[in-house]
Amino acid sequence: MGLFDKLVGWLRLKKEVNVLCLGLDNSGKTTIINKLKPSNAQVQDIVPTIGFNIEKFKTSSLSFTVFDMSGQGRYRNLWEHYFKEGQAIIFVIDSADKLRMVVAKEELDNLLNHPDIKHRRIPILFFANKMDVRDALSSVKVSQLLCLENIKDKPWHICATDAIKGEGLQEGVDWLQDQIKTMRT
Amino acid sequence: MSSLESKGDGGKWLDAHYDPVAGLYTFSSCVDLADLSGDGDSRLVVGDLGTGSTGMKLKVYRGTALMSESTLLDLPAGLVALFIDQFEPRIPVVAVASGPCVYVYKNLRPYFKFTLPTLEINPVEQAMWQQVREGQIDPVMLKEMLEDVRKKADVPLSDRSLRFLSLAADEVDEFVQLHKQQPIRRQTVIICIGTLKKSTADEDGISCLVIGTENANVFVLDPEAFNILSKMCLPAVPTMMDVTGQFDVEFRITVACRNGSIYILRRESEKPKYCIELPSHPVGLVRVGKNVIVGCSDESLQGFTQKGKKLWRIPLPAPITTMAAMELPARGLQAVLVGLANCQVQLYRDKNLLSTIKTPDAVTSICFGRYGREDGTLIMTTKGGGLMVKILKRTAAFDERDGAPGPPLAQSVRLNVPKKTKLYVDQTLRERENGLAMHRAFHMDLSRMRLAAARTYVKVLESSLTPMSCSLSEPLKMNAVVQGLGPSFKLTLNVQNTASCRPVMNLAISFLYDDNLYRIRNAYMRIPLLVPGLIYPIQTFVECVSDKGVSDIIKVFVLHEEKSAPLLTAHINMPVSEGLTLS
Repeated sequence: MGLFDKLVGWLRLKKEVNVLCLGLDNSGKTTIINKLKPSNAQVQDIVPTIGFNIEKFKTSSLSFTVFDMSGQGRYRNLWEHYFKEGQAIIFVIDSADKLRMVVAKEELDNLLNHPDIKHRRIPILFFANKMDVRDALSSVKVSQLLCLENIKDKPWHICATDAIKGEGLQEGVDWLQDQIKTMRT
Repeated sequence: MSSLESKGDGGKWLDAHYDPVAGLYTFSSCVDLADLSGDGDSRLVVGDLGTGSTGMKLKVYRGTALMSESTLLDLPAGLVALFIDQFEPRIPVVAVASGPCVYVYKNLRPYFKFTLPTLEINPVEQAMWQQVREGQIDPVMLKEMLEDVRKKADVPLSDRSLRFLSLAADEVDEFVQLHKQQPIRRQTVIICIGTLKKSTADEDGISCLVIGTENANVFVLDPEAFNILSKMCLPAVPTMMDVTGQFDVEFRITVACRNGSIYILRRESEKPKYCIELPSHPVGLVRVGKNVIVGCSDESLQGFTQKGKKLWRIPLPAPITTMAAMELPARGLQAVLVGLANCQVQLYRDKNLLSTIKTPDAVTSICFGRYGREDGTLIMTTKGGGLMVKILKRTAAFDERDGAPGPPLAQSVRLNVPKKTKLYVDQTLRERENGLAMHRAFHMDLSRMRLAAARTYVKVLESSLTPMSCSLSEPLKMNAVVQGLGPSFKLTLNVQNTASCRPVMNLAISFLYDDNLYRIRNAYMRIPLLVPGLIYPIQTFVECVSDKGVSDIIKVFVLHEEKSAPLLTAHINMPVSEGLTLS
């Protein structure tokens, strides 16, 4: 990123942030992004994402551009191509899928060890989604299974969410906004 | 990463789930993966054998949890999931083969039961039971007549007649009273089950059931009406089956049989076209691409073409417990998983070992495929009833390591050649200087030794001091054993006749000893007739009467009753008595 780009970035009135939304397939990434959009822009039917979608939503002081990536196994190798652009990461976990928790951990470890991510102090927001499902794991249990306590060099936060009702999303986005503001100043 | 490497599978698999107390006792033929609800989430369907006589269950797992459980009537021989209709959403049915029936479950509810057609009955046998019903012959006569039929007729008897023939005399009447009213039937049972696509190769195309039975037939069933589309005959009873192709186009059924052969059946032929004869019994049969991979009971894995030509054979480190194919078309991976008795699961692509997974217990069933939402899932059940789920990493790459293991280990071991010291060199110098004198002196000594040896030998023969008798009429062998600490000892003489087929008679044993030291209960004994080959232990009790703690030699003679010269002699060095006589 050249000096000119940085100048343009600072001069923007409403700061723009690029966010990567990652997670395994069927964890609820598109549903979460959809819920964060203004109610008149929300879509009704959510289908499995092919490749990735670019979505935008705004909070009180920031304008987010989200790369909503597909989580299917065959598209997961696309993720790393967007790591450079990401200034924050939203990682969505299906807390009802105990079997694939190891797969989520593996993808997270790959992500954290990637050279584009490893030495940057970017905030990571975890959504332990599908809290409404009967035998879902708690956010504490999810963070234990993913060994989140081992992330020392990046600010992170985990929220239990129900993306269909929208519960828990606002808390997470507020945290993300605070983190990005503190990083800028 | 090092902790993963130490697990032995090269860090290619993620441990998703391990439940050592799942209580699943099953084999690879009774495990399948299917999307039973049509929501893209595959379930694991297991025909649990229970204890083998009770507790047979159809279990369905979703993720890490047991989702449903229903009791099976009989021991399952095989279980497959298949599509039998075109309705949307595409939900497969589960077919469980047990006994002579195939139970078809739709939405996990009993839907249909297919029973194999009964076999023809011997008309003579039928007539006999008819007469019994009319009271014309009694059970004893029936038994005799059935015995006759069993020996002569080419059509085997029905189960009931065979059971009747095996009954004891007092149970016969009751059995006949109980069963004579029912018509007799002869049935066979299903041994193995497979699926065959009807007309399309699609993943969710309609499939036919393929059934191998105990009377060496293979049936292909219609998916909708469950009638028999095709019947094929085999020379032996099938045990394992692999089916490829489409019924309407071309198909191949590869069948491993109980006689240790593999037969390949094709469309439009009732009899097998190709036969592979194996040196030992097949324990696993998997088709990878166009090749057939067979695991044999002699701890080897063999590859054959689909025409039965042998391609390769590799030895395995332990007996095979189970085998399964591993196919992941998205990554172009076609391999075979082999469960071994030494708690390993090895992955082979052709004859190259790709990776080894160590398991905590020997694996009895392996299933690889899409489970839940993950394509590359490996599901294993262990001998102790555990369930293990592993997921192939997205980044895992299998590279074929060099198959040749390099020079054998023994080559690098140094030979144990002894070193030579100065003493040896001095000796050789002396030998070089005085060689002639040494040779002469040695030969003189050798001649003297021969003379002495011959003299002693003649002396021994004259007095029959040897414990082996070489005479042609009585070849005998004897040895003596002394047991005990004293003052009483047990003396056992083992006498053996070493002739090939001539018994020896009229022998006796006599002991020669010092009266002051020992007392023998009977110092003269007759030996029974000696049958060739057997060892006769002849025992007596020796008591030490001296309290001085001295020991002496006891001589044993075996003699012929009419001759005074002993046949053989043994000298026994009695041990020192460690006690005092009470008398």
